[in-house]
Amino acid sequence: MMYRRSTLFGAMLGANFLVLALLFIHAGFRQIADVSQLVRKAVLVRKLGLSDLCLFTEASYTAISPWLICAPRSRSTPWLSSISPAALWQCRPFISRNPMPHTIEKQRHIIDFTLASLLRRKGKNGALFTVYTLIVFILASVMFFTHALKQEASLVLKDAPEIIVQRTLQGRYTPIPETYAAKIREIRGVTAVRARVWGYYYDPVFLANYTIMAPETFTHEPGSIAIGSGISRMRRAYEGDTISFTGANGKTRNFTITTVLPEGSQLVSSDLILMAEADYREFSGLPVGLASDLTLKVRNPKEFATIAEKIVRLLPDTRPIIRNEILRTYDAVFSWRGGLLIIIMSAAVLAFVIFAWDKASGLSTEEKKEIGILKAVGWETSDILFMKFWEGIAISLTSFLTGTILAYGHVFFTSASLFVPVLKGWSVLYPEFRLTPFINPGHIATLFFLTVVPYTLTTIIPSWRAATIDPDSVLRS
Amino acid sequence: MIKVTDISKIYNAGRPNEFTAVNRVSLTVNLGEVTVLKGPSGSGKTTLLGILGCMVRPTSGRIILSDREITSLPERFLTEIRRETYGFIFQQFNLIKGLTALENVMIPAYPTGEKYTALRSRALETLALFNLAHKAAAKIEWLSGGEAQRVAIARALINNPAIIIADEPTAHLDTKLSHEFMAFIKQLKEDGKTILIASHDPIVYESELMTSRIEMRDGCVIRAGSPA
Repeated sequence: MMYRRSTLFGAMLGANFLVLALLFIHAGFRQIADVSQLVRKAVLVRKLGLSDLCLFTEASYTAISPWLICAPRSRSTPWLSSISPAALWQCRPFISRNPMPHTIEKQRHIIDFTLASLLRRKGKNGALFTVYTLIVFILASVMFFTHALKQEASLVLKDAPEIIVQRTLQGRYTPIPETYAAKIREIRGVTAVRARVWGYYYDPVFLANYTIMAPETFTHEPGSIAIGSGISRMRRAYEGDTISFTGANGKTRNFTITTVLPEGSQLVSSDLILMAEADYREFSGLPVGLASDLTLKVRNPKEFATIAEKIVRLLPDTRPIIRNEILRTYDAVFSWRGGLLIIIMSAAVLAFVIFAWDKASGLSTEEKKEIGILKAVGWETSDILFMKFWEGIAISLTSFLTGTILAYGHVFFTSASLFVPVLKGWSVLYPEFRLTPFINPGHIATLFFLTVVPYTLTTIIPSWRAATIDPDSVLRS
Repeated sequence: MIKVTDISKIYNAGRPNEFTAVNRVSLTVNLGEVTVLKGPSGSGKTTLLGILGCMVRPTSGRIILSDREITSLPERFLTEIRRETYGFIFQQFNLIKGLTALENVMIPAYPTGEKYTALRSRALETLALFNLAHKAAAKIEWLSGGEAQRVAIARALINNPAIIIADEPTAHLDTKLSHEFMAFIKQLKEDGKTILIASHDPIVYESELMTSRIEMRDGCVIRAGSPA
């Protein structure tokens, strides 16, 4: 059975739209299903007083950036921030044979012709489709990934401490006296102050940086630790095993693993080691009476800035960091990472634009002759422009839909496996987490207008002049 | 009846390469006749054919088709007239490569919005008239010269036009195929079509099918009338 090309094309586009719609439905269900997991992560954040995700804390960062050392888990600096009716009546006898053209059927005929034309140059158009799809795939992957990660960060960190207070000496981070907690507690609006004891540990064997915390809630026996699943995976250390680290005094210290933190919370716990406070002080050399930083509970969010000001006035050697600044930093960091990838990709994008421009705008002699033939046999200028419009749509819309669908699969089914090193910014300990598919329809619309519309216009506009040529050019050729 | 009065066509007017292709020509073509425009290369017969077929806008003069003046109609209406009233057979056939014979025949009918099934069966019937039904799915470049010529004629007939215009139709055909072409012209004449042919091939202009001969030179008609 013979099917018209327009039917097959319509079916293909329909199938693409259907798949896209199903993916959106999938995203909705996943968001509902992942609520409990997000809540678990948020609980862990609240319980441990975490203020950061397990991203970007590479060993090399600590070695290079003093700013990162002084604010290891709370980088708040905004980085980036005429024709008469009579004449018309005169022509009626000539046009009355088909007074009511079937617009849809006519468009389908034009689509049939356009697709047949495109299939004549399979190699060139196939290459164009492939490159176009790849570009959309990359852009959509970056958009999906960064948006989902930002959403996840804001949801997971919504219960993070409202304000963190660090002490600085010579502009650098330094442990804070626990006595500061009592002074800060007296400021109106502050409901609780907690001293956090934590730090980094660089593992020279695996070239990875771990975060060690000593939360008050850690009630295991001395010498016991809980480790993140990322560390467990990398060091092949599991519950009941003994693991050793070199302490501040140069001596090796053994710890027994009592718990491996759940896989589902990797985004916040992949690189985490939990131990008792006494163990940590002995291991790290942090004297009693000093804490790494202070976390504050403030009831009224409108007072955050005022309280931060009061803290600085009261204790000039401190630096308060508000939670919103952390979230804003995440926003900037992920946007910057995404932008970085797009800049790297820009060379490829530019090459594609040149290729697409040449393909879409450069009408060959053969194409011009064909337009002349079509006009000579009765095609109107508008029919030619419709043909070019459908040509642009056939290439760009198909590429857009295919690229977007592939990007969804790549980001939400394979956890953006191709872009992990750039987007997650982790050198050794990749947190293996499955992102909840948060999709911003605005991003899809932006991608559509940045890819489909320019290409289609690029196809139509240069054809305008060719479409208005006199049909007698065919006679004279 | 197609009547042109004082028609001139000047290309590149006002430029150093200004060229007068047709110079103050007046003539009348009666419906149902077979008219041949004869003359050497550059005599203006192709341009005059284009003017008569609403493909070329004259620089001056008037064109009257069936008692209605069409000289100043906008392009859109001229296109419609061209599609509905004329069928064109070009010198090099001007079929579109890469498409099948059937698709090429259907092309002039696409803008009419006719239902696909009806159009397809009509195109197949038209191809069958020229013994080409078995070649419907063949690409144009696979066809022989004679087959391509018949496809070109089938394409000219798909919209059932009243007037057929052929520009040097036998220029690329051997004697046998030229005679075959004239046989098709005979058939079309019997069907009541008006036929206008520009040619300097004796097989065409000396044919007994011609009811009117117009001889041209340097853009002017030097002789017109029925064959002696």
